Amino acid sequence: MNDFSEMEDELRKLRPVSPSQQLFERVARELENSAEVEPPNNIIRPARFNFGWVSLGLGLAAAAAFVLLARVNEPTTGPAKIASSAPATPVPAQQLNTFVPAGASRIVYHTRDEGLLFPPGSSEPVRRVRSRARETLQWHNPTTGASLRVSYPSEEVQLIPVAGQ
Amino acid sequence: MKDREEVMDNVATNENWKTCFSQLAPGLVLFARQWVRSGSDAEDVVQEAFVRFWRQKRDVANRGLLYATVRTVALDLIRKDSRRARREAEAYSDTVQTIEPQFEGDDDSQRLLAGAVSRLPHEQREVLVMKIWNDLTFAEIGDALGISQNTAASRYRYALAALKKDLLPQ
Repeated sequence: MNDFSEMEDELRKLRPVSPSQQLFERVARELENSAEVEPPNNIIRPARFNFGWVSLGLGLAAAAAFVLLARVNEPTTGPAKIASSAPATPVPAQQLNTFVPAGASRIVYHTRDEGLLFPPGSSEPVRRVRSRARETLQWHNPTTGASLRVSYPSEEVQLIPVAGQ
Repeated sequence: MKDREEVMDNVATNENWKTCFSQLAPGLVLFARQWVRSGSDAEDVVQEAFVRFWRQKRDVANRGLLYATVRTVALDLIRKDSRRARREAEAYSDTVQTIEPQFEGDDDSQRLLAGAVSRLPHEQREVLVMKIWNDLTFAEIGDALGISQNTAASRYRYALAALKKDLLPQ
């Protein structure tokens, strides 16, 4: 109970004036008219065919990604056909897993001369040269035709002795 | 009187709208009367708002929305007709009860109380009408008026205090 409970009770005793009967009739007429005009729910409205360009773009992107993945996973047709054409001479499993080195490369893309310095315990100066490169190693499986390629960045520091005059 | 939630559930299920409307209409018309000064104008507002609310199949769990619709329709009506707005503003200062009473009853004390309600500041009166005669919660009133729940409660308390002060014997 609060200080205004008596006032609230008095206010609730006041009854708002009842609306006229015409109001009910007019509302009924409007709602009945709208019910007649409103189409049934089983009609497909044109608005339901609307779609957003964003969803279209996402759909196309998903389809493109699916096609790319499918092509990546697709077995190579050439060597596989050759292998499958000779079922009479099955290849041993060990031979299937054999990879032989096929190549190696080292590409130096940056070299910096960091100047002369004296290493600890040495009376002769050395020149420090730092070089950055990308090394790539390749293997090849002659049986299946598969290849493996590993590439990684590398950094090398060389200390080159400097002959005194 | 049926519970308000039950009434609104009936509205939600589109069943027996006449029963629901007969329960809600007196409070809705009283609510609309705050902006228009004649009963017929208030009924016009309620008719348009209720039909609009019904046709749009709004979520009636948000009860304040129906009252917000009444308020919007009433304000639109005023804006559309500036002459009407001026006329309403002039009538605003008059004692409405002598022209067209908003409450039933011939009791003198009730007539005094109704007069005191009509003299309340508009922002307090609309909260009082929604709370006392429409049974809305402060949260629903806040939603309908675009104010916070605490503000609605404050206005309600100010209204009751003003009524109490107004009706004190001189």
